[in-house]
Amino acid sequence: MKKLFLLLLMPCVSWAQQEIPLNDLRAFDQPSTNWTIEQAVKANYTDTSFQVSLGKGVLLNTLRNGKYKRSDDLKFKLNHGDIRLILDFMLPKGANSGIYLQGRYEVQLLDSYGKKQRMKFGDCGGIYERWNDARGKGNEGYEGYAPRQNACKAPGLWQTIEIDFQAPRFDANGKKIKNAIFKKVILNGILVQENMEVSGMTRGSLFDKEAALGPITIQGDHGPIAFKNLRYETYERPTVSLGDLNYTYYEGVFTNLQANNAPPLLKGKTTEITGKTIKVQKDFLLVYEGELNVPESDTYEFISHWTGKGRLEVDGQVLNQGDYWYSDRVSHSKVLSAGKHQLKLSFSKDFSWGNRALGLFVKRIGSHLVALHARTSLPDPEAVGLIEVKAEAEPVYQRSFAFHQGVKKTHVIHVGDPSGVHYSYDLNQGAILQVWRGKFLNATQMWENRGEPQTSEPLGLNQVLDGKFPLVTSGQAQPDSVNNGQWMYKGYRIQHGRPVFLYQWNNVMLEDNLVPNSTGTGWTRTISWKPAQGTKPTFDLVLGTSASVVKVQPGLISLNENQYFIQWNGGPETVQNLANGKQQVRIPVEGNSISYQVIW
Amino acid sequence: MKHTVSILFIFISSLAWAQNPGAKTEKDFYEIKTLPIPQDIYLEIGGIATMPDGRLGVSTRRGEIWIIDNPYQKESHQTYYRRFASGMHEILGLAYKDGAFYCSQRGELTKVTDTDRDGVADRYEPIYQFQLSGNYHEYTYGPVFDKNGDMWVTLNLAWVGFGEGKFSKWRGWLVKISPDGKLEPFAAGLRSPAGYSINQEGDIFYGENQGDWVGSGRVTHLAKGDFAGNPGGLKWAKEPNSPFKLTLDEIPDNGSPMFEAAKKVKNLKLPAVWFPHAIMGISTSDILQDTTGGKFSPFPGQYFVADQGQSKVMRMGLEKVNGVYQGFCINYREGFQSGILRERFGLDGSMFVGMTSRGWGSTGKDDFGLQRLVWNGLTPFEINMIEARPDGFEISFTQAVDVNSVKKAASYALRSYIYKYHHQYGSPIVDVKDLAIKGIVVSADKKKVRVVLDQIRQYFIHEFKLTGVKNEAGELLLHETAYYTLNQIPAGDKVLLNASNSPIVEKVALEKKMSKVDPAKTTTLISDNEAMALLKKHTCVACHAREEKLIGPSFTDISKRKYSDKQILALVYKPNPKNWPDFATEMAPMSHVPAKDVLKIASWINGLTQKKANDALINRD
Repeated sequence: MKKLFLLLLMPCVSWAQQEIPLNDLRAFDQPSTNWTIEQAVKANYTDTSFQVSLGKGVLLNTLRNGKYKRSDDLKFKLNHGDIRLILDFMLPKGANSGIYLQGRYEVQLLDSYGKKQRMKFGDCGGIYERWNDARGKGNEGYEGYAPRQNACKAPGLWQTIEIDFQAPRFDANGKKIKNAIFKKVILNGILVQENMEVSGMTRGSLFDKEAALGPITIQGDHGPIAFKNLRYETYERPTVSLGDLNYTYYEGVFTNLQANNAPPLLKGKTTEITGKTIKVQKDFLLVYEGELNVPESDTYEFISHWTGKGRLEVDGQVLNQGDYWYSDRVSHSKVLSAGKHQLKLSFSKDFSWGNRALGLFVKRIGSHLVALHARTSLPDPEAVGLIEVKAEAEPVYQRSFAFHQGVKKTHVIHVGDPSGVHYSYDLNQGAILQVWRGKFLNATQMWENRGEPQTSEPLGLNQVLDGKFPLVTSGQAQPDSVNNGQWMYKGYRIQHGRPVFLYQWNNVMLEDNLVPNSTGTGWTRTISWKPAQGTKPTFDLVLGTSASVVKVQPGLISLNENQYFIQWNGGPETVQNLANGKQQVRIPVEGNSISYQVIW
Repeated sequence: MKHTVSILFIFISSLAWAQNPGAKTEKDFYEIKTLPIPQDIYLEIGGIATMPDGRLGVSTRRGEIWIIDNPYQKESHQTYYRRFASGMHEILGLAYKDGAFYCSQRGELTKVTDTDRDGVADRYEPIYQFQLSGNYHEYTYGPVFDKNGDMWVTLNLAWVGFGEGKFSKWRGWLVKISPDGKLEPFAAGLRSPAGYSINQEGDIFYGENQGDWVGSGRVTHLAKGDFAGNPGGLKWAKEPNSPFKLTLDEIPDNGSPMFEAAKKVKNLKLPAVWFPHAIMGISTSDILQDTTGGKFSPFPGQYFVADQGQSKVMRMGLEKVNGVYQGFCINYREGFQSGILRERFGLDGSMFVGMTSRGWGSTGKDDFGLQRLVWNGLTPFEINMIEARPDGFEISFTQAVDVNSVKKAASYALRSYIYKYHHQYGSPIVDVKDLAIKGIVVSADKKKVRVVLDQIRQYFIHEFKLTGVKNEAGELLLHETAYYTLNQIPAGDKVLLNASNSPIVEKVALEKKMSKVDPAKTTTLISDNEAMALLKKHTCVACHAREEKLIGPSFTDISKRKYSDKQILALVYKPNPKNWPDFATEMAPMSHVPAKDVLKIASWINGLTQKKANDALINRD
C-alpha cells in the first residue's frame, strides 16, 4: 500500500525561466539577414519551406541571399556556462540545424521524421560527433551519441527541446579539469540523452578552444527553421547556506512536533541536517535550528522531504508542514531579504515502518538547487525494472487502465504496430485517447507487484487527443460521453493482426478501423456503418476541437497550436466556435464510411 | 530454483519429523506433477479450462490465453504452448464451452473465438461490461457455467484501507449473466471471492479470505438473496433488482460472533465451514467437488479447497443438517510451487492447479506455476468424514481403527471456539472451550467412531486433534487435525453412556498445572528444537521461517527489530500490519497462544541476532 502513494506522488519538476523576447532581433549578435521575426509559420508535412504571417513572436531563418553560409549561424548575446534551455522549433521537410551550447557543443536538430533505421548521432536529439583530422582519413569522427529513440515530429509541427547543460570546468591556470556534460536532453517530452559527457567541441564550433562561457548559437547554414518560446535559466547567482546549526533529539511521543519541556537525549552543534541522528524507528522528535545566510534579497523555494510528520519554519513562519512519504516533494516559496534568517526544521514519526528520511533543498532562480541535508539522509527511490510491451514482429494490443488528461480510464486498449505507430483507445467511448510513435508500452505499473494505479503508459513520442467519439448526428452538439444507452460496445475482431472495433449506435452498426498510413507515419481511421433499413443517416465527423485551428491547405488542418495534423479526402470543413472558446472542426459525412488521418 | 528446493525441503521435512520415522507422508499418496513452462512465458495463472479434446486452456494475469498440448504428459513429459489470445485485462477466470473461451477481464465478461480456425482468436465479444472505478483491487472472477448455460461471476471489492464496493456497480456480489448479457444480482457480502463453484446438486459455494468483517477464511453456500457478511457492496442492495434490502446501519459491529448478528440480520449467511486462519490456509481460493467418480481422490463427493498463501489443497466434507450445509475441513496436500488460484479437473480425473503469487506472496516460492495433483490409488489412513450427532460427532475413517487407541481419552484433544464479526481486519479466536469426551462407540466394521462430548455448541468451530488414533497396522493418521463447523445440531438418538463406552483414562503423570506465569519474569531460553516444536504447535511456521521470507517476515528479520519479549507478546496478540508494509498478508491475532509459550518463542527470536553476532565473531578469521 505504501508503494501506491509513492508512485502517485512523483515530484513534478517545474523550473523558472527567463524568456528571450522575440519582438525584434536585439537578443542576437549581428544576425544575418536570413533571420527575421514573424508572427506565425506553417507548412504541410511535405513542404520544404514555410508559409509565413507577418508579426512578432517567431524567429525564422530563410534563405535570402543565394547560398547559406557559416555567417548565417545565429549567435545569441547570452553568454552562458551551466544552462537549462527550453525552446520550440519547427522544421520544414528535410531541414537540418542544430543548437550549439556555448557555441561549441551541438545538439542536432534534423528532420528525422519517419526514419525507421537505427538512430545515429546525426539525428534529431543526437549529440553530434567530435572531429579530429589527426585521427586519419575516414577516422576523423568520434564520440557522438544517438538519441535513445526517434522523438521527432512531422515537419510543419511545433516541437519542443529541453537541454540541461553543464559547462566544462577549468582550474586557475585555465586547464580543463572536467568535461562538459549534457545532463539531459528531452525532445518532445521524451528523454533522449542523460548525463552524456563530451570530451571536446563539435567540429562546427565557433571557437578553437573550450572555455567557461560561450554564446548559444543556432546553426543557420543548412536551411529554413523557425523558433519560438526561447526560455532559459543560468546559475551564476549565489544562494543560501546554513550556519550555526544546532540539533536536539528526543525520544517519546510528541504530538504536533512539540517537545513540551521533555529533556533531550542528545543535543549539539552540527553542519548538516540528517535523519541519521535518530536512534529509534518511531516515537522521536528531531529539531534543527540554525541560521540561514541569504546572500541577496529574492524569492527562495524550500523543498522538503520526510517520512512521517515534519514542519519547516523560517523566521517563525511555518512554510512546509504535514504528514508525507519521503518521495513527496513539498514546496513553499518565501521572499527573504539579504542577511541572516532563522531556520527551524522539526521531524517526528509515530509509526515504525518507512525510513527515517529527512531532506531539505533550497532553490533560487538563477542558482542551482542546493541540499541542506547530508546525502545519506534521503534514501534512493525503489529500483523497479521496466516491463516493456514490444510491437516488433506483428501488431500487439493490450488492455489496461490508463490516464487521459488526468482521468483514469478503465476500459482502454493500447494498439502497437511494428511500423512504429501506436495508439490508445477508450472502448467505453469509441474514441482515440492518444497516438504515439517509437517504443510501444510501459506496463511496469500494471505487471510489477499489484498496487495502485495499475496503469500503462506510452514509451514514445505521444500526442494526446480529445478522447471523444467523433461522430455526431448532424447539427447536434458533440456530447462529452456517449454512454447514454444509445451506444453499445460490441467488442472487436482481429483483422490483419489489428483490432477493428464494433459498436451499435442509434440502431446503426459501426466499425472503427485504424491502420497505419501508407508511409507508417500516422494512423488512418476509417469509420463505416450499415444503416438500418430504409434510413439514410447523416452525420458530422468531428475532426478535432482546439483553441485554434490552422488551415494548412484544403483537407489538411493542424490543431492545438500546430501540435498535430488531421488530413482527409473530401468536402470542406466547417469551424464552429464553441461556448468554451474553442473551435471545433467538422465535416459532414454521408454514405457508408469516412476516413481521416492523424499525423504528428 | 536451488533456493526453492531448500525451503521446501526444510518445510516438509520438519513436518515429517514430527511423526514416526518412516511414517508415510502426503506424497506417498497424492503426487504433484509439474508442467514445464517456456522461460519467456509469464504464466501467472488466473484461469484454467479443461478442453474436451485433451488440451488445456490457461489464462494469465498478463491477459493471455494459452492452449497447452499434452498437458497430461502421457508419452512424453514435454508440453507445447500456443498463444490463443492476448491483450486482455488480468484474466482471473476461464471457461471453455462449445468451441469458445469465456473469460473475465477486470471490466468485462468476454467470449473469445477463433472464427477462421487458424489457431488464434480473432473475435473478442463482450457478454457484459462491468463498471470499474479503476481501483487495483477490483478483481473480476469467472465465469462458472451452470447447467442452463448461464454464467456466474464474482466481483471483488475495491481496497481503500478497507473493502469498498460503492465505487462501481455490483462490486461485492455474485451475479448471474445470461448468454445474451442480462445480469441478475444473486448474493452479496463478498469481499475477495476468488474461488467458487457449483456442486452436483446445483448449489454454489465460494471461498472467502480473512479481512475486514471476515474473522477467518471460510466457505459459504450462497443462495439467492444471501448476504455473506462483508457490507462493502451493500450500496447496490438499494437497486430495484437487488434480491434483498439491507444497509450497513442494520449490521451490528460490536465484535460479537457472526451467528449473533445473523439472529438480527435476516439475510446474513453463516459459513458452511470455517477454515481457521493460518492453520487451514490464509487465503482460500478455488473450490472443487470431487465428481470424478473415484479417480481424483479416495473421497468422492467431497470438496477440495485451495489456498493461495500456503500453496496447498485442503479437503472439505459437507453434510446437510436441517437443510443447512455444514461440515469439516482438513489438510490434504501441501508443497505446491506457487500461490494457488485455480483448480480444474482434467479428463483423467487428476486436478490441474494454476498458480500465481505476484503481489501476495506464498509458501511456494515460484512467481507462478502449473502443476497437476494425481492420486496414485493407494488409500492412506485418513479421517473420511465427520458428521454431527445430537450429543457429539461421528468420525469415519478410511481404514479400520485400532480399537484400543480410539478408546483412549488421551488419543484426542478437542475444543471449540469462534471468531469475532466486526469491521476490523481478521479476528482472534474467542470463547475457547476445551471439550471432554464422555463416551466412545466404535462401529462393528471399526471404521466409524462416535464420540460423545460434554458440550457441543451450535455455530462454533469444533477442533479435533486425533493425535493417538491408529489403524490396525499401528499407523497414525496422515492428517490428525480437523475443524467442524456446527451450524445445526441434528435430532436423533443420543448414546446411552455406560461403562462399556466410557473412554479409557490411563494413569499417566498429568502435567503439573503451571501456576499463572508472570510474563514479565519469564525469560526461559529454549533450544532450537524446543522452539521449532512450539512454532509448529502454534502454527507459526505456516507463515514464518527462521531465515526465509514466507507469508510473513523471517524470525531473523523480526529479531533485528529489537522488540522486547513483551513487545513481541503484545504484537502476537494484537499484530500491527503497518510494521511490515512490504508484506501483503496481514497477520491474524494469535491471542489463543499461551503467554508463556509466546514469551519462550520471543526470547528465542531475540536470541537469533545475538547468535549471529556471536557466530560472526567466532568466524572472524
